[in-house]
Amino acid sequence: MTTDTAAAGAAAAPAPHNPIDVDPETCVRCMICDYVCPGDVIHKEPRSKSLPVIAYPDECWYCGLCEQACPADAITVVFPENMLAPTTPVTSLLGRDPE
Amino acid sequence: MSPTPWPSSEPKWLATDVLVVGGGVAGCLAAIQARDEGAAVLVADKAKFLERAGSVAGGVDQFMTPLNTEAEWDSPEHLMKFVPGLTDGLSDLDVAERAVHELPRVFQRLCDIGIDFTDPTTGEYFRTRAFGLPGEYHLNFDGSRFKYKLGRYTVGHGAKFLPRTMITDLVTDAAGERVVGAVGFNCRTGERYVIRARSVVVCTGDINRISRNISGMPFDSWHFPYNTGDGHAMAFRHGVRLTNMELVEATLTPLGFSVQGTNSYAGQGAYFLNRHGERFMFKYDPKGEKARRTILVNAVIEEVLAGNEPLYIDIRHLPEEQLDDFVRTLGVDRYTLPGYFAQRNLDIRKELLPFGISEMSIRRGGSYFRGSGLVVDTSGQTNLTGLYSAGDCSMVSGGISVAAAMGAIAGRGAVESLGAAEDEDAALDPGSLDTALARMEEPLLSNSGRRWSDFEDDVRALVTDFVGMRRTEKGLRHARERLRALAAEEGELDATGFHELMRTLESKSIRLAAELMTEAALHRTESRSGAAHRRLDHPETDDLHWKRAIVLRQSAQGELALESMTEREPEVAVGGQA
Ligand SMILES: Cc1cc2nc3c(=O)[nH]c(=O)nc-3n(C[C@H](O)[C@H](O)[C@H](O)COP(=O)(O)OP(=O)(O)OC[C@H]3O[C@@H](n4cnc5c(N)ncnc54)[C@H](O)[C@@H]3O)c2cc1C
Ligand code: SF4
Ligand code: SF4
Repeated sequence: MTTDTAAAGAAAAPAPHNPIDVDPETCVRCMICDYVCPGDVIHKEPRSKSLPVIAYPDECWYCGLCEQACPADAITVVFPENMLAPTTPVTSLLGRDPE
Repeated sequence: MSPTPWPSSEPKWLATDVLVVGGGVAGCLAAIQARDEGAAVLVADKAKFLERAGSVAGGVDQFMTPLNTEAEWDSPEHLMKFVPGLTDGLSDLDVAERAVHELPRVFQRLCDIGIDFTDPTTGEYFRTRAFGLPGEYHLNFDGSRFKYKLGRYTVGHGAKFLPRTMITDLVTDAAGERVVGAVGFNCRTGERYVIRARSVVVCTGDINRISRNISGMPFDSWHFPYNTGDGHAMAFRHGVRLTNMELVEATLTPLGFSVQGTNSYAGQGAYFLNRHGERFMFKYDPKGEKARRTILVNAVIEEVLAGNEPLYIDIRHLPEEQLDDFVRTLGVDRYTLPGYFAQRNLDIRKELLPFGISEMSIRRGGSYFRGSGLVVDTSGQTNLTGLYSAGDCSMVSGGISVAAAMGAIAGRGAVESLGAAEDEDAALDPGSLDTALARMEEPLLSNSGRRWSDFEDDVRALVTDFVGMRRTEKGLRHARERLRALAAEEGELDATGFHELMRTLESKSIRLAAELMTEAALHRTESRSGAAHRRLDHPETDDLHWKRAIVLRQSAQGELALESMTEREPEVAVGGQA
């Protein structure tokens, strides 16, 4: 990779962000979010009082299936800064000369 | 880190008549049809429940079919007349015709299963004209439970389900001429499976995470980011023909969140503005914002290149009632979109919405009745005996409707071939099995520290810069060289744990897809189908030489062969041009 593609890649790299906010007060520890997440992002220890864990935050699709399916309304999908206020110019997606 | 051990030293052996790889829309219909014919069926999917598997687990809102009413346009025959205009020479019209005729049948089946396609407010069918089709074939419905019901019915109908299982490779007989099963593993427990099957239907969907987007987050994609071309890759490794791999599909999207449907805002009367406040679409098409999607995408690219960014969608002038409706339905295709606007403090009723283009996928280059993937015949079978395919990973695709239609056709075909398989009782080739298991295990044994995510970023950078929207020979050759160099690094990729093993194997599928996309794009020395294949050095469409689909195949010696086929003569010709 040329240095400037590497730099562009690094600039676009997301800061660690937790996409899923689980309310510990309302969560009933039921496992449903773990079962429905298409990305295997949320892991919940079976038969335990532990809260669901966002095991792979960078792999979230922001689909909200977990939020939709949660019986206790305990989940909120939280969007990161890169999505709410993106800074990448669209031109950077349109290709460039190899030289 | 020390290598992750498998939970047991030996894989578990399973046997079935028909193995369905991928339990999305196509996979479920294939399974249902094969169960109708009495076959034992096993469906494997990366998801935990079939009800929640695939692109549309979160909901859908449109199903396209003729319904054979009185209206002249409402028959498969009428629709079929327009198919060659849509596919632009890049499909097998006999197969497309099978799909068109299957649509009303599969629609009836879905109704019988209990899916309600009526408009919830009126109880009637609400049909609209869309995607350049010659009639009101699109049924708008509340499909928020569509996949749930479909998955539930499939299991209730007797299909067995293997959850959280990534299928990684096919297994063949000694001659490599017949598929006899597949291997896979559970991405949580690491349990490995060897599945003996008399026929296999590949329904693994489209290919995503292949180019960059505005947020810089690869899983923020318009389409399902967990469909990564695994089916394409496993078939290709066994000499199965793939077609239309050069076709790009991107869409208009709010800047920052890649979602579908933005182009449909235009249909509702939205204005597209550039930074000068100009309604720029009229420069590109007399229909303005109501032009076809590929024209919209191309126009947005031109405006961006002309320095007219930011671009905005403006709906402020629409009547109150329409705005209410608009905002109410935003979350139908993508549940989280209203929440996104809220967190962004953006009131699209009162403010301009900045927009641009999404990352791209390999799907069908935006047209119904063609597809990017496994070449199939009128029974859904590929050139590998016993291997079938349907849905977004196959040559004739088109949303949930064509996925359902071709899924049913492939499921039927897969059962028909069982009789033949019985006589021969094809033996599994131990060499083929060993290769498949070794490939599955390789990343767990590596200790290099080279991670799939970095590797995938490298692939995306190359595709975005040199293979994507605006192609040149120079750029494509450069990308091909780099993608081949990345192939040589694949053996080093290092995974810890079974989830990471899944992602690592996915990233290899993505790299292969990128390389095949590059090869085909380089080969096609013309431009075709709007934004789907644009060569800056060959800007004209050349029907004389190129109204044909490029077919890619790996020979037994591991070499890439480029062939082509025309819409009426699927017999492949060696080389590209006529
Ligand atoms: C948000 C959204 C909304 C949409 N809305 C509509 C709509 O309203 N109308 C319409 O017609 N189309 C719509 N589409 C398009 C439609 O979803 C697809 O065209 C359709 O689902 C294709 O069906 P399929 O079976 O090929 O793929 P999918 O339904 O995506 O199924 C593919 C399955 O394969 C599984 N899989 C992949 N790789 C492997 C592997 N290696 N091992 C095991 N399993 C694997 C995946 O987990 C997935 O479940 C929408 C798409 C999206 C993303
Ligand atoms: S679905 Fe909701 S209630 Fe159940 S474990 Fe997840 S967060 Fe808790
Ligand atoms: S938003 Fe979707 S991908 Fe993200 S954690 Fe929830 S279910 Fe999983």
